[in-house]
Amino acid sequence: MNGAGANGGRPGGGAAAAHSLGWLVAANAVGVWLAVLLVWPGAGDALAPLTFGRWAPVHLNGQLYGWCALPLVGALLAWFLDPRHPSAERHAALAVGAWSLALFLGCLAWLGGVASGKPFVDWHGWSRPLLPAAMHVLWAFLAAHTWWRRRRLSRVGLAARLAVLGLLLAVPSALYWASDRSVYPAVNPDSGGATGTALLGSTLALVGIYLALPAMLGLAPHAGSRRVAPVLGAWLVCWVIFGLAGKGDVSHHARGQIAALGALLLWIPLLPWAWAGWAWPAGARPWLRAATFWWVLLVTSGWLSFLPGWSERFKFTHVLVGHSHLAMAGFVASVNGAVLVVLTGRAVGSGVFRAWQAGTVALVGLMFALGVVEHLDPAGFLGGDGVARVLLALRLVAGIVLAVASFRWWRETCTR
Amino acid sequence: MKPEKDGSRPVVAWVVGAALVAATYIYFLIFAEFAFLELVRDVAGPRLRAVMALLGGGGVAGAWAAARVFRTARAATLLARGLQGCAGAAMLAPFAGGPVAAGAIAAAVGLALGWTTVVLAAALRNGVGGRRLGLCVGAGTGTAYAACNVPALFAAGPATQALLAAGIAILASVLPWPRANGSTEGSETPPPRVNQAHVLAWLAMFLALVWMDSAAFYIIQHTSGLRAVTWGTPGLLWTNAAVHLGAALLAGAVLDRGGRRAVIAGATALLGLGSLALAEVVRLPLPAGWWYTAGVSLYSVALVEYPARTGGAGRAALVFAVAGWIGSALGIGMALDLHRVPATFVFAASGVILLALGRVRGAVALLVGLFVLVPAGQAAEDADAVLRGREVYIAEGCIHCHSQYLRPRVAADVERWGPAGARGTPAGDPPLPGNRRQGPDLSRVGNRRAPEWNRLHLIAPRAFLAGSRMPSYAHLFAAGDQRGEDLVAYLTSLGEDTTGERARMAAAWQPADVAPVAPAEARRLFTLRCAPCHGNDGCGDGPLAVRLTVPPPAWRGTAWRHVPPGPEAEAALARIIKFGLPGLPMAGHEALGDAALRGLARHAETLRQAPDLASLPGAPR
Repeated sequence: MNGAGANGGRPGGGAAAAHSLGWLVAANAVGVWLAVLLVWPGAGDALAPLTFGRWAPVHLNGQLYGWCALPLVGALLAWFLDPRHPSAERHAALAVGAWSLALFLGCLAWLGGVASGKPFVDWHGWSRPLLPAAMHVLWAFLAAHTWWRRRRLSRVGLAARLAVLGLLLAVPSALYWASDRSVYPAVNPDSGGATGTALLGSTLALVGIYLALPAMLGLAPHAGSRRVAPVLGAWLVCWVIFGLAGKGDVSHHARGQIAALGALLLWIPLLPWAWAGWAWPAGARPWLRAATFWWVLLVTSGWLSFLPGWSERFKFTHVLVGHSHLAMAGFVASVNGAVLVVLTGRAVGSGVFRAWQAGTVALVGLMFALGVVEHLDPAGFLGGDGVARVLLALRLVAGIVLAVASFRWWRETCTR
Repeated sequence: MKPEKDGSRPVVAWVVGAALVAATYIYFLIFAEFAFLELVRDVAGPRLRAVMALLGGGGVAGAWAAARVFRTARAATLLARGLQGCAGAAMLAPFAGGPVAAGAIAAAVGLALGWTTVVLAAALRNGVGGRRLGLCVGAGTGTAYAACNVPALFAAGPATQALLAAGIAILASVLPWPRANGSTEGSETPPPRVNQAHVLAWLAMFLALVWMDSAAFYIIQHTSGLRAVTWGTPGLLWTNAAVHLGAALLAGAVLDRGGRRAVIAGATALLGLGSLALAEVVRLPLPAGWWYTAGVSLYSVALVEYPARTGGAGRAALVFAVAGWIGSALGIGMALDLHRVPATFVFAASGVILLALGRVRGAVALLVGLFVLVPAGQAAEDADAVLRGREVYIAEGCIHCHSQYLRPRVAADVERWGPAGARGTPAGDPPLPGNRRQGPDLSRVGNRRAPEWNRLHLIAPRAFLAGSRMPSYAHLFAAGDQRGEDLVAYLTSLGEDTTGERARMAAAWQPADVAPVAPAEARRLFTLRCAPCHGNDGCGDGPLAVRLTVPPPAWRGTAWRHVPPGPEAEAALARIIKFGLPGLPMAGHEALGDAALRGLARHAETLRQAPDLASLPGAPR
């Protein structure tokens, strides 16, 4: 792999791309194994005690903390690292390596049955401090590079970095705290899931990160700064709505919750519009267009599935699993595709792009079909009857397509 | 055994040295540590400990005697005598008729083996030279461990194993004794000088490792579940053989590069983690026995290499007597008394080893672990079965397929798996609402599934429903493993206080007035869901019936036990099919639709009234 910047990439971009795509390949391979187990459950008996439930967190967390998070870490490195520092690439490799090591050890813990019982904050026992510790390593490098280049940064640039460093310092402690078994978020009493307020807040936080991405990646604002004010204004308004929305265990039948979550619909046009104000390289644009497509579907279906009547049909079914895949494999993966093009200065071939997008469309479509079958014939679904089994087999095929595409993606990005 | 003349080829010397190490280790592993105890277990009865004490005492005495008489010039003869003594004792072992004879043979085995090991270790460096000494010991040790894991030898009876060990010892006694470094008869290369503190440090390390190893081995060997996952199949045995051989060769190579500390550190980590996993203080991704296997091979090579490289017969005797024989006795005694390797011991032993290695900070960290982790493990042991079962539920990732949340406004949720509980954040740290239902909701499973059903279903889910996606958790029910029963206790506790309310719900339920599914479909459903217990013809002879404490009755020509006769019989039968019979293994099929329930009820009634098999719908004619 060439050093970052060799092809117009960013400092640390190579390391972030290699690790994030490596985790995508690994987590997709585990996902294929999970899909195999759903079609042929007996196949898992040979690997006991490594049963479905032990592999599931490896897949989920590998995707979340590996594939989804590391490109954002790469964006942080791109923004913070001093490109003139002779060891910048080594520091990036160490920071990303520490992150991957923590995640790898976490995978061993989950396979070993050390789990918190809280999906996505499954850090428990001896594995609980691992990722926070890796985050501190990353923070230390970011802070050190900010210090080394402080005289070459503008006042605004330095202040922005110091502010972000302050925010980032709280993240490891927050993750550690959130992993505590006694800490649990508010629950929608009529669904057992997240409340509208919680969904609004978490999505707004992600929107904030995605709005800041182009600037952190060092892209030029070709539409000038005209779009910053309205976008920032809308974002702040939504936070006000979040502040006014009911807190605690509030039902999705409450109109206030429906309206509050509906504020996200505003971002269907706003986020793509904000991105379009930056000069993305040509190789990133197909990924951005795909991200826009998935974003429209994601926000629309997310809000619709929250509505009374729809929620009752979809909650706990494959429809919501499909929604999660729509978010991760569709939207986030497409954004990451664009980010990696900027970080590495390389665009992958159209074959990878098409295979990934087609696989995701098939996967999400099949999940929705499974959800419908599940709703219409619950006994048949639970008993593994013909239709459900065929759909699960097709889902496996779609998973294999994604796994192969991810491997080609990794190879084209990291080994050319 | 005759001394070879000067100038013998180094390769031959190396191979013979490795073969002698292999023969001695095979004798120790397959006979002294294993087959002999099996042979005398019954005849010694309650005096087994005394027999074992004689074995250990003989070993210490043999080691001491060998150190007294050892001379390099006489090494070949002394070694041959020792191996012949081993063979003789092994051949006598199958004929031990009482505790006295068993004790005498035990002392003889110990004496001969103690003698042989000391002479071999003391003579080895001069025989094969120092440059590849570690690899020679590694090859011999690895070959011995691998050979003992060959399924045919491993599974052979103890008498066969004893005779085989005797044969190997005799063969080894006639091997030509190597003199690879060209030293002349009667001369020897002086060992490097080491101070007493150095010797004591290594002695402490080996003692701790042998102690831990012996206890872990005994526990694995005498716990059927652990034995099954460690040595239970030919595949596992071959895997063990490969791991042993690979680890031993690796250890030998590292030792030849001066890496004895690294070998000991690795062995400590692997053995320590394996022992903690056996004690269920930590959970590891691979069976605990595999960690144990690799750790044992590493330190076993160092145990021979250290005295062979650094000292004469006296040091070999000290190491084997104290670390080998006394360490083994302490380990087996601990396992006999406690039936586990206490986490406290693992931390303390690891701390001693780290201190001996000069790793003070590591030792301090272990002490912290001793005070932090061990109480946590102890607390887990003290918790009741339900709480332990909840931990199993979390550890196995049940939340990824099962919810524990009934939506009060969703009638289907409440009807299938209810009654609904209080609205709001579910109880428990953490709450386990789950977000997916590959299987049914379990928040009230205790009111609709008997413990017996849950147990059998966890062991063989697809025996109940061929298309079920539920994995088998038979491994949780292996002998010595409490997790399966703890999980059953936890599942039983879920909703146990709602049994009455559930019964009232079921009693009030009526199937909708819909047409039943076609008879062929009803028969298919019956074959899929009911026949595993009731049999295809309702004769109560399904494959699962024999595993139930209350087997299902044969219906033909009898009155229903739980269904009153009359026009409501079909609805009552459908109710039982949907909700099951609380307290009996008859589980409900809650998710079936009313048409399917009516169809199944009619099919069951047809079976009950069928005069013979030929009249059944769809039966071959």
